[in-house]
Amino acid sequence: MFRKILIANRGEIAVRILRACREMGIPSVCVFSEVDRTALHVRLADEAYPIGPAPSRESYLRIDKLIDVARRSGCDAIHPGYGFLAENPALPRACTDAGITFIGPPPETMELMGSKTAGKQLARRADVPTVPGTDEPIENAEDAQSLARTMGYPVVLKAVAGGGGKGIRVVKEDEAFASAWRDASSEALNAFGDARVFLEKYLDSPRHIEIQIFADSHGRVVSLGERECSVQRRHQKVIEEAPSTVVTPELRRKMGEAAVRLARAGGYLNAGTVEFLVDASLNFYFLEVNTRLQVEHPVTEQVTGLDLVKLQIAIAAGHRLPFAWETITPRGHAMEVRLYAEDPDNNFFPCPGKILARRIATGPGIRLDEGVYRGWVVPIEYDPLLSKLIAWGNSREETIARLRRALDEYTITGIRTNVSLFRSILAEPEFLRGEIHTRWLDELLARPRPPAVPPRPGTEAAAAIAAAYWESIQPANPSRDGQANTEATSRWKQEGRRAQVDRQP
Amino acid sequence: MKFEVHLDSVTGKTRHVVDLEKDGTVSLDGQPVDADVVLAAPNAVSVLINGTAFEIHIAPSLNGTYKLQTGPHEFQADVRDPRAWRGGKQGALEAEGRQQIIAPMPGKVIRLLVNAGDEVEAGQGLVVVEAMKMQNEIRSPKKGRVERLQAKEGQAVNAGDVLAWVE
Repeated sequence: MFRKILIANRGEIAVRILRACREMGIPSVCVFSEVDRTALHVRLADEAYPIGPAPSRESYLRIDKLIDVARRSGCDAIHPGYGFLAENPALPRACTDAGITFIGPPPETMELMGSKTAGKQLARRADVPTVPGTDEPIENAEDAQSLARTMGYPVVLKAVAGGGGKGIRVVKEDEAFASAWRDASSEALNAFGDARVFLEKYLDSPRHIEIQIFADSHGRVVSLGERECSVQRRHQKVIEEAPSTVVTPELRRKMGEAAVRLARAGGYLNAGTVEFLVDASLNFYFLEVNTRLQVEHPVTEQVTGLDLVKLQIAIAAGHRLPFAWETITPRGHAMEVRLYAEDPDNNFFPCPGKILARRIATGPGIRLDEGVYRGWVVPIEYDPLLSKLIAWGNSREETIARLRRALDEYTITGIRTNVSLFRSILAEPEFLRGEIHTRWLDELLARPRPPAVPPRPGTEAAAAIAAAYWESIQPANPSRDGQANTEATSRWKQEGRRAQVDRQP
Repeated sequence: MKFEVHLDSVTGKTRHVVDLEKDGTVSLDGQPVDADVVLAAPNAVSVLINGTAFEIHIAPSLNGTYKLQTGPHEFQADVRDPRAWRGGKQGALEAEGRQQIIAPMPGKVIRLLVNAGDEVEAGQGLVVVEAMKMQNEIRSPKKGRVERLQAKEGQAVNAGDVLAWVE
């Protein structure tokens, strides 16, 4: 096993990895940028070292500094978490050069499976279904149109150099093809200096369902089942759950086998996720591979009882996977929401700032993975993910009830969060019936909102009384964040008691 | 301590007068309310109104107002400084006409501070009710004469029982 592990990340995932190390009795080393000196992962750390200014390209993305800290502190392994350098093959290469183990797949596998086009070609070789379409750009509009007719509408035109939704056109009928082709090509030329376009079958309301895989260095590859992540806002996952409401044991077996075939074909090692789109007829199509631990990994942990981070560490240390995939059956149901410091009433604008107070959610079936605390200032420099709130129960219904209950308990004062978004999603009949797809949330948010649930009788009176009371306990010179000092907290009642005592004969 | 509270929420704007008496009693818009108010945690005020529990989370907001949050509901509160506000307007707040004096909480009348027919000032104590081992002085909302004193020493009262009338 490893002597010491460097955690090359920050926030909740750094805390998550630190906890796994501590449970395994492995000392860990944290790193921090200038604004993260008091971040939770540093407060909990065994050892912590500064790696530079706030911008991540000058700190958390600096491979040279990370390797230097690892060497100086005597680490023999690096865990990259997710984001930052987790899918950058340069980090495992630098680790190899420094004689340090990278907890993840080898760099060649990352390159082979991480790229969308290379991954798609690998999937074809491994007999894993992909979205019908061309791998190569199409030269002229006529060829493209005849191909579209063969494939059947709707189809989607995508810029080869694409990204950020530019150079993409959905074509629903043959008559619209020519103009869509012109639009996509010229937009691609303007945006990327490259007019080349390729063609894919357009899936109407697909679900995003992904398979968690694990591969050890002894040739065993297993599937840990699926997670459904169809609730997305602008292609960003918002709610994840396992199992999926549409995946039957038969489909789970088929998707799991396909994911394992792909992993074997790519010489995969450690944890990975194979993402699929699933259409209304339950056909599944390979989308891409994430060659790292996922944000939503706790969902799989709750239905399998496994600790994926500890498994990652054990596999990187050369241990064998302790189970066969046939033995993995999801138990119960789990669901995760990602709580962000952002304002759902203002186009999800990030709202970092100081957390004045917090009431956390606990109790049966609730897990909170987070990197925040009361008094901490959420920095503006990074992804404003505050907490992952995970609920699990015997059924999807019980899990949703627990999640709703926990969202009512969880309160953050001082900054805005997207908690109201989850309250509305968890009240939507379509969501409760599991009728979701990757554009469902964007469509929901575009619809007029249902009227707000009226507050309980007495709420307004309570608010008025609380506001007056709060004003009455403010010190004459309040501190800048408006915190009342405890001396002043019951001034008006204390005065009252004193007055009564004075009156006693 | 009297406060003028302007609330703004999705359902509209309202104005309330909240009186937090030194003995712990609370009145809202001139009516006594069976309300228990404490600071439960930093920036969190717990209010029990007739036993119904509310937790109001409060953060300072723009222009010296407060942002209030309870469950999914939010209010913006503008609380007028009591001393600045007491200035010329106090007369307008004093109750007018014949006033019922009501027990704000269940308890026991332990002392009468006035007799029927006495002249009283606004804010003068009339009756002391003990509840939850706390002595609460029930005061006159107006300057006037104690028309009738219903309460008797040692009597058990329920919330809402009439203790006296002030003319």
